[in-house]
Amino acid sequence: MQGTASGGGEGARPAAPRALRYAYMDHWRVDTAQGPLSQYTSVERFDAFLRQIAAVGFEAIETFDFHLGVMRELFGSLPECRAFMQSRGIERVLSLFHAVMYDERQSAPHVPATHDRMFGYAKHIMESSQGLGVENFIVMPAGLYFDVEPVTDAKIRACADLWSRIGRMTLDFGVRTCCHHEFFCAIRSAEELRKFYEWSDPRYVFFYCDTAQHTIAGVDPVALYSQLHDRCGGFHLKDTHDIDRSGDYRRRPDAEIMAPTTPRWFWEMGTPGGLVDFPALYAAMKRHGYRGWVGVEHDKADVGGGNYPESTAVAAWYIQNVLDRIYA
Amino acid sequence: MKTTLPVAGDVRWSYAVNAWKPGFMGFARREEHERAFKTTAASGFGAIELKAGSGRWEPLGRPDNIAASYGSVAGFAAVLGSWGIAKVSSLFYDPGQMSFEDLHFGLDSLNPADEERILEAARPLARCVAELGGSCLVVRPVGSFGKVGALSAEQLARVGRCWGRVGAAIREYGVVVALHFDALSAARTAEDYEAVLAALDPALGGLALDTAELTIAGHDVVALYRRLHARVVHFHFKDALDRDTLGEYRAPNAERELVQAGGSRRVARWFSEMGTPRGLVDFPALAASIREHGYRGWIVVESDGGPAPIAAGVMSNGWYAARVLAPLITGQVP
Repeated sequence: MQGTASGGGEGARPAAPRALRYAYMDHWRVDTAQGPLSQYTSVERFDAFLRQIAAVGFEAIETFDFHLGVMRELFGSLPECRAFMQSRGIERVLSLFHAVMYDERQSAPHVPATHDRMFGYAKHIMESSQGLGVENFIVMPAGLYFDVEPVTDAKIRACADLWSRIGRMTLDFGVRTCCHHEFFCAIRSAEELRKFYEWSDPRYVFFYCDTAQHTIAGVDPVALYSQLHDRCGGFHLKDTHDIDRSGDYRRRPDAEIMAPTTPRWFWEMGTPGGLVDFPALYAAMKRHGYRGWVGVEHDKADVGGGNYPESTAVAAWYIQNVLDRIYA
Repeated sequence: MKTTLPVAGDVRWSYAVNAWKPGFMGFARREEHERAFKTTAASGFGAIELKAGSGRWEPLGRPDNIAASYGSVAGFAAVLGSWGIAKVSSLFYDPGQMSFEDLHFGLDSLNPADEERILEAARPLARCVAELGGSCLVVRPVGSFGKVGALSAEQLARVGRCWGRVGAAIREYGVVVALHFDALSAARTAEDYEAVLAALDPALGGLALDTAELTIAGHDVVALYRRLHARVVHFHFKDALDRDTLGEYRAPNAERELVQAGGSRRVARWFSEMGTPRGLVDFPALAASIREHGYRGWIVVESDGGPAPIAAGVMSNGWYAARVLAPLITGQVP
């Protein structure tokens, strides 16, 4: 990864073929006179966001599918939105994170009766997101742990069936369905993960490696990546300082923001106390010949007074100065 | 070291640290320095400009303070290098600021009795800059209009002579003195600047052109650069969002009332990152002029006075400098 393109002169780095390119998974907030707001609240704020991430070396963004509407509103159409992004050095919206309201009444991967509706919604997203260059459709493959437990084999098989069906459909749009396992998701343990990937169709269901989520869940993301490397569709690189040792993952009403044990689960790469062994992950990626996009994420970076731009720059610094030396 | 904007050669890029330390007590811990300078490096800037300061909470403000926190100036250079900062381009010094170490409440270049003390304060700062790879001691050459009033021809020449003495004293370090006239300065006009510069040997120093400060003061900075280009030895690049249209620089407390409180018009923000629709500075025209006149030296980008998070301004400026301005200056426009 390198910062924004040089105007030349001493210190400039020539372009070279690289195995890895970087995308920024968007949880951004902008400090404004109206308080902290999304960058999608104006073209000017979106522009500043794009410039800032491009400046430190990102070439794509990943975002939530509920941003599709506001992208159209800001720019008139998704192709016009993409053209604007490209003028700032951001090539595409690499991934859409599928924001589904998981509920057994209408949308729950472990409940087969809801699958047709979920399939239809996923197809609607595919049809309505043309023009952004999307390559990945990222999903949490099961509901919240406490909504699904007990997590039985039948429930895991139902999830595997759903995403195999949806994954086949999204490939028709040139998009891979990638499963991203939050630490509070019902498919989270090593054994649950093993079963899910064994029972889902490897042609249609891909693994998205979120380094912090697996670490919090007590699963080594390097070992998991090595097991699933031939199904790996990408990464969310982020760190954590804490492993969930007290069952926060199944504590109602929420584990991600409201766990009493841990005010902030997620950290950018390169902070003291980080538990993820990123150099080992990069060695594994090199060993397995991973090529393509790598996502960087630090959701909830503002917990405790932090901010997204600085966390992004610090993570970019870590890639430029530590990880690039292992595998680029 | 991975940086994308040059830190050597004809036009070199740097970033000022001033935005990271808006108050007396902040930005004193090493981990704060580390995150700030990693952010700066990741944004494409491989050099920084320091700011002179006094007291134990200014660990980067004096060479002895640097040594107290980092072992030595050389030790600081090594740590900076490990964070991706290859050089310290320059150091900003305002003799009008109080000094605990030198036991004064501000020195005045108009006062002959202060000249020797200014010189003695500047010498170790310049030596420190040289040791850190830089070449400019950027100075506030004279106090605010509201404090010292309009300057006579003799006073303008005195200011030039004072800094000429400093320039001569620091020449041995390979450091020149760069006179940074700001929006409040008692020297107001291009003629004032020329009068000061006439008394300063070009071999010893010249002008630090701050795009935002001089825009606020009412100048067209592109025209000003064209007029004074032969004497410009340093740049501060930041945008201005408004001008001092009521001449409130005359107020005796303009540092607070105008700059910090926004004056009678309550201007919410004077300075801005470059490349926004509301900026008043024509940076592309200035870049073209810099290319035309073959400027050689540092361009220090600033987020001076920018709102939190500071990183956002640094990153925005990194994008604009590398993708818009550097190609215009080198002539390598894609």
